[in-house]
Amino acid sequence: MAPGQAFETDFWKDANLRKVWDDIVPGAPRKTIPYTLTRAAIELYCRSVGEDHPIYFDEAYAKTTRYGGLIAPPSIHILLMFSCTPADDWMRSPGTVNAGQSWSYNIPARPNDVIRLEARALDKFIKRERLFVVHDNVFFNQHGDVICSGRGWTIRPE
Amino acid sequence: MTTTFETLTAGDIIDGPKFAVSRESIRLFCDASLDYNPLHLDDDYMKGNFGKTHFGGIIMHGMNNFGLISRMITDWAYPAGAIHRRLETRWVKPVKPGDTIQPTGIVKSKQVTKNARWVLIDVMVRNQNDEKVATGEAMVEFPN
Repeated sequence: MAPGQAFETDFWKDANLRKVWDDIVPGAPRKTIPYTLTRAAIELYCRSVGEDHPIYFDEAYAKTTRYGGLIAPPSIHILLMFSCTPADDWMRSPGTVNAGQSWSYNIPARPNDVIRLEARALDKFIKRERLFVVHDNVFFNQHGDVICSGRGWTIRPE
Repeated sequence: MTTTFETLTAGDIIDGPKFAVSRESIRLFCDASLDYNPLHLDDDYMKGNFGKTHFGGIIMHGMNNFGLISRMITDWAYPAGAIHRRLETRWVKPVKPGDTIQPTGIVKSKQVTKNARWVLIDVMVRNQNDEKVATGEAMVEFPN
């Protein structure tokens, strides 16, 4: 999301611009956009899942830890998936059902990191009459370090 | 007692936090994750069928389960000086407003590699009826 650009919360608005299952090419990259992760965004995410560990909130405490400062919870990629993709990304298609995900964590994201995503569909298949797409994602910080990588299995709307 | 790699054994239980699911908690997760899929917002939309599936009303984000499991793992790992390295989950039952869910973990095994020591953990989330709504596996590193 570009600085100052409001996030479109109506996922129907650009629905006609998004690729459907038939259009998605496994291996083809998805469009992504860099995103500056703010302390406020981390704190809002923490509140939504009840995260209350001081390493996410208390700078003085965080400085005493192995991380040397505030970090985001590992699962912050849940937010990054939508903040690093544009409104016409097919992950926003209404009716997209998340069947499961797997993530590996390298280093934590931190407040003010400028996050970059490399993403693609990795596979698509039909199982029990449902249309599946596997997506493959790697998040990097502004130094080019891998923050985390993961895959998700989604059932696409028909 | 402080958790250490040496004292952990298969079958050890990790209790996660109880989480009351409401329309407000789901809406808050929409705002925090930027996932505004109408599955989580639109009652009229959710009256329809999704292929063979009929949800009958809005459902919680599957990734809210993921966030709760991850919170359980980090809250357990941080005091032990350990690092949450991996989490894989599958959603097996939808979660709806009014449900109360709770993640738990069970230590499955330990393994030592060249540079680190690993604990493998089976994770699950159950609802108030003791039904599994999510299952998966986690890996935690205990640095040498």
